[in-house]
Amino acid sequence: MKRLAAAVTLLGLATVTACSGGSTTQSGSGGGGGLFTTIDVNRPGLDAAAPPNPYNPKGNSFSAFNAMKIGWVKNHLTDPNQALPGIAESWEIAPDNSAITLKLQPNAKWSDGQPVTTEDVRMSIGIAYTQGSTAFSVTPGAAGAAAEVTVVDDKTLKITQNMDNPSPKFARGVLDTTVLPSHVWKDVLPADFWDKLKTARGEGAEAEKAREEITALGQKVLAFAPAKDVSAGPFVLERVNPGEALLVKNKHFYNAANVAPAQVKFLNFTGNEQIWNYLTAGKLDHSGFVAAPTDVMNRIKQAPGNEVIKGYSPVAVGMGFNQSKKPYDNVHVRRGLAYLINRDEVTKVASPEGGTPATTTTGIHQKAAPAWIGDTVGQLEPYKPDPAKAEEEFKQAGLTKKDGKWTLSDGSPWKVSMTAPSGFSDWISAQENIKSQLIKNGVDAEVVTVADYPLYLEELAAGKYDVGFWLMALGPAPYDIYQRLYGASNGWTNVAGKVTHAAPGKGGNWMGGPEEIEVEGIGKINPGELTAKLNTATAEEAKPIMTQLAKAANQDLPVIQLWDYVNNQFVSNSRFTGWPHDDEILRLGTGVLASGVWIQLGMVKSKQ
Amino acid sequence: MSATLLPETTSTSAAMRRNFWRGVWRVMRRKPSRMAGVVILAGFILMAAFGPLFYPDHLPSDPDSISRPPSWEHWFGTDPQGRDVLTLVITGSRYVLLSAGVTALITVVVGTAIGLFSGFRRGRWDTVLMRITDMKLTIPSLPLLLVLATVWKFGNPLQMGLVLGLFGWGGVARAVRAQTLSLRERGFIEAARGLGLSTRHIIGKELLPSMAPYIAMNMLIAVTGAVYAQVGLFFLGVLPYESDNWGVMLNLAVFQAGAMITPNALGYLLAPLLAILLLTLGIVLVVDAMDEIFNPRLREE
Repeated sequence: MKRLAAAVTLLGLATVTACSGGSTTQSGSGGGGGLFTTIDVNRPGLDAAAPPNPYNPKGNSFSAFNAMKIGWVKNHLTDPNQALPGIAESWEIAPDNSAITLKLQPNAKWSDGQPVTTEDVRMSIGIAYTQGSTAFSVTPGAAGAAAEVTVVDDKTLKITQNMDNPSPKFARGVLDTTVLPSHVWKDVLPADFWDKLKTARGEGAEAEKAREEITALGQKVLAFAPAKDVSAGPFVLERVNPGEALLVKNKHFYNAANVAPAQVKFLNFTGNEQIWNYLTAGKLDHSGFVAAPTDVMNRIKQAPGNEVIKGYSPVAVGMGFNQSKKPYDNVHVRRGLAYLINRDEVTKVASPEGGTPATTTTGIHQKAAPAWIGDTVGQLEPYKPDPAKAEEEFKQAGLTKKDGKWTLSDGSPWKVSMTAPSGFSDWISAQENIKSQLIKNGVDAEVVTVADYPLYLEELAAGKYDVGFWLMALGPAPYDIYQRLYGASNGWTNVAGKVTHAAPGKGGNWMGGPEEIEVEGIGKINPGELTAKLNTATAEEAKPIMTQLAKAANQDLPVIQLWDYVNNQFVSNSRFTGWPHDDEILRLGTGVLASGVWIQLGMVKSKQ
Repeated sequence: MSATLLPETTSTSAAMRRNFWRGVWRVMRRKPSRMAGVVILAGFILMAAFGPLFYPDHLPSDPDSISRPPSWEHWFGTDPQGRDVLTLVITGSRYVLLSAGVTALITVVVGTAIGLFSGFRRGRWDTVLMRITDMKLTIPSLPLLLVLATVWKFGNPLQMGLVLGLFGWGGVARAVRAQTLSLRERGFIEAARGLGLSTRHIIGKELLPSMAPYIAMNMLIAVTGAVYAQVGLFFLGVLPYESDNWGVMLNLAVFQAGAMITPNALGYLLAPLLAILLLTLGIVLVVDAMDEIFNPRLREE
């Protein structure tokens, strides 16, 4: 589940529109001192030898503790561009999303006493290019990519969007960028980097060469090892051993007066059960989402001071079908299965604490659905468990029942073979439960596991499985939500605003759904093209499109939405208080450790 | 064993057999624990052979009683799917024991054949075979199994047993060779040679029976080794998921049901562990009895 949590976070990287400003929360006393104990839930296994480099996969860099981003993007239901202030104190987004102007914190300083400058931010953007991010990418035609980075004055920067293929979540892409000290990292980028970048934006062989050179720099960035940690965050790395990483307060941090803990300790862990142990022992002041069975959850809650804060997590899981394989190409088979699977029971067995049974298949998380498609949710087929309807659907699909068992139309046996990566215990548990439910209703089924998640995704994309679980509804951006159903995995690729469709089994198209779907009450639609439109649509424009797509997903069922994830944050009120309960800041950008943001903004207080 | 050299008559061999079984009975009676060992082993064999027949192919699950603690209804509680843990142990025993049996058989057959051949022939054959054995012994089997598991799914207990068996014969081969080297210089082998008996007779009727108890004990011990190895592999999660496999049960008990944290799931963890413990105990006790039955010195006391 640890791996799943990491995957969920990685996939959650998405996001979209609007504008926002921010000002630092300067309230309260704070500065009470004390040791804050936590874990980096995204990264099992501390590596004492790894450098304090945020881009190094094992790096001892803890986002929001000793690594700062320009802003901390929020978990808003619909607006991807909302954020809390980070290195930028405030920002302005042009109404048409064509540019974002950042105002840096006037007092921001690195832990070695040097001020944080616009040059630091500019260089950090350069480094982001070598890794490829949503806003800073050299991939030709990438949506929402930046065009120019202009230093206005020593505390102001303006970043414009390439309006050839704009994205409403451009500002999010910019804000979600880690800022590094240019006086430490200056030699990583060559002197002619920005010229090279300009060349890379062109066309032809020279541009191609420049792009390759920039991507090649990525390796240098990953390997870069600063002699010591220089942080603009509230803490700076003191030492790491295999058991824990110790960070001490950065006295130069702009809001140091409101940072409650004097030290932060990251404990090492290798698996979920170790985190459960820490939590039941009351050792952790905060931990991000960790899947836990009900009994363990109760034990955690019983530990003195512990509290579990539940919030919104814009991710759901669905049972996806490979429609190139029979009988899943037939919509009646998929509908029949949807009528046979009791989602309440699946969720109860597999993810009682970390999920809510999906109300129906819309493609959107049930919490965000009303905001996007309004009353349509109530009009959709809920697929309540109904064996009689399932039988009807199967019959319509031409399946036959022999000796109480369903067989394919030609009489050959039918076995629903579901695959899950081993280690994803909630997925396996869910599939095992679905298997029981199906067998009870005369549909033979089996659960197959594969070694790990990367292999699972690879084999899934290659069309090796009949049925697999699929993360979906990755909000808040509408495009990100629907590209999970009608994107590359179902044949549609969107490059530079041009949508192309690959045949089933080719180009990662494992779902193999039809290119056009007849939707009741709407007519024939091309869901992939509609989804692509969401990439540039404003929130208001997106709503009618999403309504069509929700209806299409509900009728055509490329996946059966099973449960929508819940964001459990574990906190202890024994040593610190002031934990936020606001959904929007309980979960922040990719890899960001929420408690670091709460601490640096002065929300968390020491218990005197 | 020199008795076998005498020309046999039906009556004497029947009498010997009777004496042998009487001896067995005496040895068994001397320590009741040995009887317990036999009962345990027989129990496991019966469980693997007939246990699964009492249950449906797909065990019923109850989503309203998941991960329950032990009760009268469910002696070891229920698993996270709401299935009876004891039933899972019983239905899972077939795979474990069948593959362990195959492993033991292969270990012993291959190990004994190679050991006997090289010990009896000596010379160049011995050198070649023993170098191969040495090489085999230096290969760490666990990492190799982990790699193999990525390409081979071991869905069939026979495949699993075959692979584990091919990894396990080295020790037996070396020990059997040492025994052979020592036995072939003894008087009764000399006598057999002097009588002009064929090599086949000497190996089959003289050497092998002398070593039979030793080989049989090795075989039983190989069973425990094979159980540990495969349960370990399933526990690590490198082999495909099979809900009633003992190793998978241990894995799920710790990593899914949280048996180390909540006592409710303890039965789920303990049931497969107890099964393994009991099986090992049974084997140890039977090996103890065999030792006395076949070792004349212990018998005469």
